[in-house]
Amino acid sequence: MSLLAVCAFSTWGFAGEIHAPANVQAGHAFSIPLEGSGQATFYLIGPDHVVKRSVNLGSDLQIEARDVRAAGHYQMILCDASCTSTNFEVKAASGAHLSFFLHPSRVPVSTPNSIDATAFVFDRFFNLVLTPTVVDFQITPATGTGFSRQNSTRDGVTWLRLDSTPHEGRVQVTAGLNGGAGNNAAGNVEEARVIQQVAAEACALRMKVEQSGNTVTLETDPVRDCSGNALPDGTIVSFTKVDQAGRSTVDTPIKKGVARTQFSVTGSARISIACGVVLGNEVALNGRSGGKS
Amino acid sequence: MSAARFVTLGLIILAACSFSLAQSPSSSLPQVHLDADGLGPRAIEELTGTTIAKNYAKAWHNLALALDSSRSGELGEEFTGFAKDRLVKRIGDQQQTGIHVHIVDHGHRLKAIFYATDGTVMQLVDEAQLEMQTFDGEKLIDTQSAPRQYMVLMTPGADRWYVRDLEEVSVPSK
Repeated sequence: MSLLAVCAFSTWGFAGEIHAPANVQAGHAFSIPLEGSGQATFYLIGPDHVVKRSVNLGSDLQIEARDVRAAGHYQMILCDASCTSTNFEVKAASGAHLSFFLHPSRVPVSTPNSIDATAFVFDRFFNLVLTPTVVDFQITPATGTGFSRQNSTRDGVTWLRLDSTPHEGRVQVTAGLNGGAGNNAAGNVEEARVIQQVAAEACALRMKVEQSGNTVTLETDPVRDCSGNALPDGTIVSFTKVDQAGRSTVDTPIKKGVARTQFSVTGSARISIACGVVLGNEVALNGRSGGKS
Repeated sequence: MSAARFVTLGLIILAACSFSLAQSPSSSLPQVHLDADGLGPRAIEELTGTTIAKNYAKAWHNLALALDSSRSGELGEEFTGFAKDRLVKRIGDQQQTGIHVHIVDHGHRLKAIFYATDGTVMQLVDEAQLEMQTFDGEKLIDTQSAPRQYMVLMTPGADRWYVRDLEEVSVPSK
């Protein structure tokens, strides 16, 4: 009987406490000493992984890199006749991936704080990197000079607001991690996004009038914004006529840079023009053929 | 009242009690309190706040069911992306090793810390009060009840906010 008891103890042994490192970097193998003698069952329980295996006490236990790839809280439990446990935290490795959002996809030119850039930094196992990491934002317009900004992440994320540049066309914004010394990045990583800058509201909107009998032909000058960008074809321009017959409005799209329409007028008339929130010039017709003021 | 009607009435009452007993534990969601004071760069809408708290509570409810039963199907629709991939893998490992984890959830204090201007992602910190009992088969091998802190990323879908990333981080010492 006593021999059986000795055999049982020699099989299941006596496990002491287990001591885990306070912090482990994701994907890094490490070993821990197992105190005691005999055999025990070891459990490692992590965010995406569970390990259960028999171990020999009194030797070092190797924790493989693949067992600690997910950042977060891990439990180590060692059981023989009773169980003992400890915890450790796996922290993200250095930044290796960027999740980059640029908003909106189209933006009017020369508009302050109109572009939002947001970047999340993840390590090579797609753990959110919570230690501050510098992200370079490089802004490259289709014409004109580009510029860059640097922002450090806080809790894995950084964002900034940018002004749109004065010229229409595509603008490329690149978020990058610089793997140089001092930055928590595994190497050079870049993510590019493109937005389209479009003309802003019309500026100095003007129309010309040609009258022939009761018919008036109205045509705008080329419709441009205050930076000189042509408003796109299809943008609606509204012509409004007020005469003895009443009030009449015609909405017409810009074609080849200008908007054109015709009215029949009765007696004297006033004609105005608008595009979006912008008012243009007003023309008064005195009722005589070809007359205007 | 005839004996047959009496027995029928008794069975109906019994069925109703069983239903409420059976429903009660599975339908009760953990308490989630969301604090969005000072959130930026976008301010939170009231309906969004309510929806996030509800969906996050449902996510933890489902997570507890899944870890206890070792069935990834119990995770439901509340998780997506990295969070779902990791939990499905973990639950698969639980099944293989015979481990399961019972969570007694005493509630979550969520603090929203980042809400993207286009509304596509919200980052939150969850201070959770959880008791976690780890079993190997029927044998209780570990119990833990310390406060826990999670870094959470949630993204909106058509009809809910999904938990896209859920990482436990160390609780800062006070």
